[in-house]
Amino acid sequence: MRHIFSSCTLLPALILGTPAALAHAFLDRAQPAVGSAVHQSPAEVRIWFTEAVEAAFSTIAVLDAQGHHVEDGKAKVDPSDPHLLDVGLKALGPGKYKVVWKVISVDTHRTEGDFTFTVGP
Amino acid sequence: MSHRIWGAAESDRCLHSAPTRGAVCHFLVLTLVLASAATLLPLEAQAHAVCGNRVFPPTLTMDDPGFNDELSLPTIQYAPIPASGGNPSGSITSYGFEWDKSIIPNAGIAINDGYIVQHGAGQNVKGWDNLTLTLKGQLPCIESHEFLVSVGVSHEFGGTGTRRLATAGVIDTTGSTAPTLYVGKGLGDLPIDFLRPLAVTGEFSYQFSDSPSISPNQWNYALSLQYSMPYMQQHVKALDIPEFFGHLIPIVEFAYSSPIHGSPTGTISPGIFYEAESWQLGAEAVIPANSATRQGQGTGFIVQFHLFLDDIFPNSLGKPLFNF
Repeated sequence: MRHIFSSCTLLPALILGTPAALAHAFLDRAQPAVGSAVHQSPAEVRIWFTEAVEAAFSTIAVLDAQGHHVEDGKAKVDPSDPHLLDVGLKALGPGKYKVVWKVISVDTHRTEGDFTFTVGP
Repeated sequence: MSHRIWGAAESDRCLHSAPTRGAVCHFLVLTLVLASAATLLPLEAQAHAVCGNRVFPPTLTMDDPGFNDELSLPTIQYAPIPASGGNPSGSITSYGFEWDKSIIPNAGIAINDGYIVQHGAGQNVKGWDNLTLTLKGQLPCIESHEFLVSVGVSHEFGGTGTRRLATAGVIDTTGSTAPTLYVGKGLGDLPIDFLRPLAVTGEFSYQFSDSPSISPNQWNYALSLQYSMPYMQQHVKALDIPEFFGHLIPIVEFAYSSPIHGSPTGTISPGIFYEAESWQLGAEAVIPANSATRQGQGTGFIVQFHLFLDDIFPNSLGKPLFNF
């Protein structure tokens, strides 16, 4: 059992020596903002994540109150910012919309989540 | 994991005492049985205690409902000891750790131990607590309802701690085994927005003593109520607040033990966590919940620094030994 304690003593040194932590990709901020109300139909939904995401396995779906998809095309990772995933939108009428995102970070952790925004009249 | 207050290990006695060898054998058999069962479950390869939108944070006086590659180092707990029976007052402090290592995705083994220092209260003693091992497996969660369940079994190896602590009654002289159910439920499916960041977690176990005549069997039950500001910011409404406050999780934990023969004891622990991407810092007051508890300890505190090894070392120390 003493070797267990030896390993634990080494852990802080290993952690302090690691060059960069790769973590789960969680939502950092979004446009339109989470839970916000906007006056005009946004041209796109943009989500910044806390980690870089893999383009091939990351998606955004935007649904209206009836559950119909209103995105215009597929989500894509910004070439200049791997933390940013965006998707174009069709012209949106007034109402509440649900954004559902699923991403895989570059360290292969999968996360997903959703939020809503409202388009005012 | 089991989040015992105290912890420790002495290798010689563990390896050479016949009763302890028997306990080790029983635990290994249980481990193999549960590991075999766990490999049959359709476990999803996902670290952290994440279920849909919900991230269940590691709690301090009880265990969280998931299993991940994590390290709590240190967990420092302090409690004053009131004067009683002619003995003066004193205090007890433990410096604990817990290492959770996944064997397969979302299932593995955890090791708990700690160093204990008691001043006053009629005796100044210090040393290692008994070693505790836990085998735990996380079942597939219901993402739309943020509902997560894990099952496990913990074993405290009696006689592995410092003999003087056991003689003084600071740690158990006998071991125990506790099959345990862990449950987590996020309230993100509620229709009222400001309630959606709430979550409830629970831990329930029956502890079988190795020697019931010395230390009776008991029920252990714990509950936490938590309000996640990260959940608010990411899934409900992005509030215009300083970023620091968006990482906070106010929480209260209730932890009780009810011996088959004897009075129940328990603590109420209000506190707050700061959750970063790869680590968490938590602090709680630990308040005795009833008079039986107050006879043994006053209001103290617990502080823990917790590392998410699956995020820090995703390709080495933080991944399951067998990944599929």
